[in-house]
Amino acid sequence: MNPFAMVWADLRALRWTALAIVALIAMAVAIGVAIGAQERALRKSSTVAAADFDLLIGAPGSQTQLLMSTIYLQLEAIPLMDGAVLKALAQDERVADFAPIAFGDVSRGYPIIGTTSAFAGRWGRIAPSEGRLFAAEGEAVVGADVRYKLGDRIAPSHAPAVQGRKAGEEDEDEAKHRHAGHDYTVVGRLPPLGSPWDRAILVPVESVWEVHGLGNGHAPGVERIGAPFDAETLPGVPAVVVKPRSVAGAYALRSHYRQSGAMALFTARSQYSQSGTMAFFPAEVLVGIYRALGDARGLLVLASTLNATLVLSSILLLLVAVAGLRRRRYAVLRAMGAPRLYVLLVIWLGMAALMALGCVAGLMLGVGAAGALAKAVEAQTGLRLAISVESPELLQVALLFVVGTVLSLLPAAASFRSPIATELRG
Amino acid sequence: MPASPSPNTIAAKDLATARTLRLTGVTLDHRGGDGRPFRVLDLPKLVVAPGEHLGLRGPSGSGKTSILHLIAGLILPGSGTVAWGETEVSALDVSRRDRWRLNTLGYVFQDFHLIPELDVAANITLPASFSSWRIGRAEREHGEALARRMGLTDLSRKAGVLSRGEQQRVAIARALSRRPALILADEPTASLDAAHAEEVGTLLVEAAREAGATLICASHDSGLLARMERCIDIAPAPPLPDLATVSGHAA
Repeated sequence: MNPFAMVWADLRALRWTALAIVALIAMAVAIGVAIGAQERALRKSSTVAAADFDLLIGAPGSQTQLLMSTIYLQLEAIPLMDGAVLKALAQDERVADFAPIAFGDVSRGYPIIGTTSAFAGRWGRIAPSEGRLFAAEGEAVVGADVRYKLGDRIAPSHAPAVQGRKAGEEDEDEAKHRHAGHDYTVVGRLPPLGSPWDRAILVPVESVWEVHGLGNGHAPGVERIGAPFDAETLPGVPAVVVKPRSVAGAYALRSHYRQSGAMALFTARSQYSQSGTMAFFPAEVLVGIYRALGDARGLLVLASTLNATLVLSSILLLLVAVAGLRRRRYAVLRAMGAPRLYVLLVIWLGMAALMALGCVAGLMLGVGAAGALAKAVEAQTGLRLAISVESPELLQVALLFVVGTVLSLLPAAASFRSPIATELRG
Repeated sequence: MPASPSPNTIAAKDLATARTLRLTGVTLDHRGGDGRPFRVLDLPKLVVAPGEHLGLRGPSGSGKTSILHLIAGLILPGSGTVAWGETEVSALDVSRRDRWRLNTLGYVFQDFHLIPELDVAANITLPASFSSWRIGRAEREHGEALARRMGLTDLSRKAGVLSRGEQQRVAIARALSRRPALILADEPTASLDAAHAEEVGTLLVEAAREAGATLICASHDSGLLARMERCIDIAPAPPLPDLATVSGHAA
């Protein structure tokens, strides 16, 4: 037997209802897919963005705020840590390398980050895609998405918060707070990192200090850049990224520079300000954020599952009603000799086709929605989210399809019990 | 010594036996709104010869359609038997009855019951899809020939856009598409105006004759009934327990 001509005829007859059913299923599927894909992309991308930030040290306060400011460049005015930490780190055997992170200036909405040349090259992991890394004060290397060309002059302006600024555009506030006479020259461009650092302008931390009248962090007469910072008094910095030599060293350093440890150190050596320090692994904080994100995702997935269940129930009722309205048509088929299985297949395959169409449309819609959301997130934060559909989403869609098509058997099976002669009389 | 019958005579006799419709002692009861049974039909005996054209005549509610449904195996009698040749249709299980109906019967309805979303050709060959994956070339050509015989030229038109007369012609072609030995027509001209009723009635009778099929036609249309070789009047069965027989039946 071949019920497909009748399936097609039924779908054509019900085209508006069929469209509504497909749209409902697609919406239910899309919500679930978008939530899953978005959450995973956020998790992956944020992990990638934090890859070179093994250990962060900053002034005591919110770890999340420091992490968001340093890794994701959601810059806010955060307390400065005593610059003496830089000297201590330079002498610490457990430290393979370290880099101060200083921010507070912008140019055309791009944050200007003071750091070391080594960290600009991510400890040697990346090389500039154009030009070279900065090698002297007044030089800058720009992120992949910064619209400055090699040789361009960059005029920094004071702006502690970059939120609300549009990358690539200078606003009135920026023009008012320009640091005159402290221009940078672009000497290199970094390859894309997929993180907000693609929109940053990286300069020697010495330059940032100098722009703000804090010296250059080196002994008088020393013109080089980078560690060791040997000035008698070092300016404070918002954060220091540390690359430990070993895992054990990393834990020891974290313990050492944690708030309580720092206070003890302060008492013993009288080197640090009374504000102390805090130290943490960004990965740890991210795990906490992911956990919260996972809880939120769980709630959203639950909500979308309930939504899908409601949608399926409504569709099932609709299909029962539609099949009921078409009982006479099916009775005619039976009167002409169509076996019960044929009629069952006509009803069921029609419904399964709508389910399949809805699921495929929903999958595409979900990916589209997640992609659009990813673009919005990227426009807002610079964090590049790579949207992908993986087995959890596919499983979710498959489950919805299977449950939907199995449930569709109910109205189809009802046709088995329908008395033909009664239905023919209408 | 009597001459032995020729093989052709035996074959013709076998065929006649195989295609004779017999309804014997058939009753059909329904339940009324008060739950009490009432008799719809009481038919002691009805025999229809192969190729015969039989008209069922009677007022609405007399049981004409019920007789067609009984013959088609769409309902089962309360008592008695419906037999097509050696096959006792009323004793077959649902699947066998479906198969028997598909292979033996063509049904023409008052309201045509075409599939409006399918074109003329697909409507005519639709019954073939009940048992085959593909509509064979022979079946397609047979369908086209039937359509031409019915005066239908454009087979690609959707059934939904045809006039009522055209729709009933397609329905007749569909009923004939599986070369049935038995055609049941339930008020085939009742939904048509006089001109179309005449035309369609003629086509139905001629097509059945050309196919050599038995035709049983329930109708109020005196013009159509006049074309039948035999007509029987169906009267409403008297209330239980005074069971009466169908008036004017033929055996």
